[in-house]
Amino acid sequence: MKRDVVIGIEVHCELKTNTKMFSGAPVGFAQEPNTCVNEIDLGHPGTLPALNKEAVKLSIMACFITGCRIDYLMRFDRKNYYYSDLPKGFQITQQFYPLGKDGSISIIVDDQEITIGIERIHMEEDTAKQFHMEDKTLIDYNRAGTPLIEIVSKPDMRSAKQAKAYVETLRNMLLYANVSDVKMEEGSLRCDVNISLKEKGSDTFGTKVEIKNLNSIANIEKAIDAEIIRQNELLDNNEPIIQQTRRYDEATKTTIAMRDKEAALDYRYFPEPNIFPTMITDALYQEAIASIPLMPDKKRQMLIEDYQLKEVDADILINNKALLDYFDDVIVHTSSATLLCNWLISEVLSLEAVHDYNKHIPAEDFGRFINLLKDNKINSKQAKVVFTHMLEKKKPDDIIKELNMVVIEDDNLLHLWILQAIDNHPQSVVDYKNGKDRAVGFLVGQVMKLSKGQANPAKTNQLVKEELNKR
Amino acid sequence: MDANKSIERLHQIQQQTNACITIFEKPVQHKKEGKLSNWSVAIKDNFVMKDVLTTAGSTILSNYIGVYDATVLTKLADEGVSYVAKTALDELGMGGSGLTCFTGPTKNPLDLKRQAGGSSSGSAAVMAANAVDLALGSDTGDSVRKPASYCGVVGVKPTYGRISRYGVIPYASSLDHVGYFTHNVMDSVKALEVMAGFDLKDPTTLIQQLPAISNVITGDLKGKKIAIFKNVIDHIDKVETKQLFEQVIDACKQQGALVSEVVMDEKLLKTMLPTYYILANCEATANHANLVGINFGLAQDGEDIYDIMKKSRTHGFNEMIRRRFVIGSFGLKDENQEELYVKAQKIRRLLVDQLSKALADVDVLIAPASSDVAPLLESDDADRLSNKHLISENHMVLGNFSGFPSMTIPMGNINSLPIGLNINAKAMDEQTMFDVALGLEKVINYKKVKGEV
Repeated sequence: MKRDVVIGIEVHCELKTNTKMFSGAPVGFAQEPNTCVNEIDLGHPGTLPALNKEAVKLSIMACFITGCRIDYLMRFDRKNYYYSDLPKGFQITQQFYPLGKDGSISIIVDDQEITIGIERIHMEEDTAKQFHMEDKTLIDYNRAGTPLIEIVSKPDMRSAKQAKAYVETLRNMLLYANVSDVKMEEGSLRCDVNISLKEKGSDTFGTKVEIKNLNSIANIEKAIDAEIIRQNELLDNNEPIIQQTRRYDEATKTTIAMRDKEAALDYRYFPEPNIFPTMITDALYQEAIASIPLMPDKKRQMLIEDYQLKEVDADILINNKALLDYFDDVIVHTSSATLLCNWLISEVLSLEAVHDYNKHIPAEDFGRFINLLKDNKINSKQAKVVFTHMLEKKKPDDIIKELNMVVIEDDNLLHLWILQAIDNHPQSVVDYKNGKDRAVGFLVGQVMKLSKGQANPAKTNQLVKEELNKR
Repeated sequence: MDANKSIERLHQIQQQTNACITIFEKPVQHKKEGKLSNWSVAIKDNFVMKDVLTTAGSTILSNYIGVYDATVLTKLADEGVSYVAKTALDELGMGGSGLTCFTGPTKNPLDLKRQAGGSSSGSAAVMAANAVDLALGSDTGDSVRKPASYCGVVGVKPTYGRISRYGVIPYASSLDHVGYFTHNVMDSVKALEVMAGFDLKDPTTLIQQLPAISNVITGDLKGKKIAIFKNVIDHIDKVETKQLFEQVIDACKQQGALVSEVVMDEKLLKTMLPTYYILANCEATANHANLVGINFGLAQDGEDIYDIMKKSRTHGFNEMIRRRFVIGSFGLKDENQEELYVKAQKIRRLLVDQLSKALADVDVLIAPASSDVAPLLESDDADRLSNKHLISENHMVLGNFSGFPSMTIPMGNINSLPIGLNINAKAMDEQTMFDVALGLEKVINYKKVKGEV
């Protein structure tokens, strides 16, 4: 490619708080419209903002994990514009003194580690949601005043792939830090992408185009690729790039102009007089830092080194935060991480529509279950039955009792069954002598049948081998 | 006083004074017992009251019913007051004449040809007519203290943050104070003791508690350090005003007060009004951007959302208000902000430094609240930018720039019309302000004017 691509991304991230940024009204997604509001969110006369401490704490955490320098003196400003989604007629934001500055995060693209700079992180409030109908506009103020941070990257990305990795990595970090739900489909994480092209090696940036309202990571990549093609074609034909806002159209897989950039739009920012400059106390800062869990990269390392999980398994857990959280909850009740991990990935993960695993099977019960399996109190065949029953909210020990499950480990009894199995299938001895190891498995299966599934498979396996070797 | 009598009296004066926007059918009292259980109280109509019409004196809110109670209304109600009326004000509190309320001009009960002053015009007027014990106002420039001067009552603006502003429809947030009127100094102390206090809903309120003042102050002027605001006196031509002030000073000296003079930077003082206009209008233009007729207030039909907003605002505000919004927006524009808004902020700081310096070694700073008695209804403000006017009529705005406590008490009468004395103290030192005010009230021994209604 003859031109360099320059990409910067603004991420709007809704914070995971109980109440709004400046009011005590509850934060809620998909609630009955206009029920999570009070007079402050609706911009009624005489109301005043009161800053949400929890939102500040989460914002500090976001700054910390992205390595941003924190401005301990919080200051807020008014961004003035008239629109029906903005009940006060201004948005309270941090224009002049953002909470965080000059951070960076590492992303991995094609096994290469790349550092992407973070220009700033600032706190602000969300707007109301509008539904434009044919003859009217409906407004849902539930979202109005929801705490937000805006994370502005430096123009450090050079391809759609890098942009995608940046958003993915950032999203996972925010999720792990418990700062946000980061659900793009619900709008709790929203991305605006700025793209420009410049001649290879040139220091002069080209005209910037902004793509707004990208609602999935896949679309970020597709939109950027489409936009790069569009801009290259324009430049090839000596046509100018217009500074404007565009959106991605999934049907045509192209970007479509929404409006020319309001170069003249002046938001008349000025300091919010109703919120005094406020110092972040050392106690709040320490509390915020202390509540940051391990970030995904460190957590992965821990799974592999401390719990001896396979890399591929660790990756599955890392990318399924809910399952990983469940792993963390269960592991305190059992010592077999590998067994637990296998069960989580092969059985628990495939449970559909389960988000809160703890609710379905309490961690303590699952830990007990893994321990029973590990200690051969049940065998793997019985375990599947127990697991199914556990989903019906039964305790593993009760299930075992109810179904009279025992594991037979008695050498004599096992030996009897082994002899019986060999008598019934003499050919298997011949096979074994001829080097066909699967004869062992076959005989173990026969013993399981004879024992009605109660034999200890590991022990049976060992005894079968011993018996065959004697012959 | 008896709240039913209060309502009767309000009806009696309403036609001639136009002081109220709403007179309640019957008194609203939430608690029978309390520190102020026999007080009847009028409320400036920019205090939001639940289920009650709250207009802020503007057409755009002329149909607005409050959906919550202002914090200060709850505090007073908890101590047993009876609310009897909501009073007229200059539209959105932006004005000093009491002439610009959407319900028409407020007239001074002491002389119906004259203004009651503004913006808390109706509250001052009902006090002058002896219709209530306490009237709430708001003070952004001198909107309580000036009308108090014109109506012969006590007007108080405590320290910024002393009383919660939650539920008070703003003018300019960094200058707005809840203020109030009473008939005497001791009442004003008792009222503040109830209204003061930190409010979670207004994080700009002070965490420091107001000390118990009413049982501490004696009004003894002996040894009190009283400074005369010399620049103000120098700009007053009216002989009677000067004489009244000199009488006060003489009496203070007789009582053993230590009287001195303070001269501030004259050039800087002349910037008070322009600085005030820039800051107040810049904040006001944003503060009132919620008044668009979309989810409350009086809406006009329009083709789209912008058209509805535009028409509602054009119809909903008088021309003077719209002009102020334009000035405010102009001052905040990117290309003007440094030269206007930011510069005004810097000058505000310099003015506050002057006031702090003036108060550093004294207890209070005093001056006539105005150069003259209440103006006639038709008097224009053509000379507003004259040298004389700039300082003598605007000095009380220093109390808003600084947030320092400031109050007005009656100083005497000129041709049977009252004029006030302004008293300023250090931040959070209401106690000293009230103590001196109590002493001055004794030595002045003001004789109330019998009004026309």
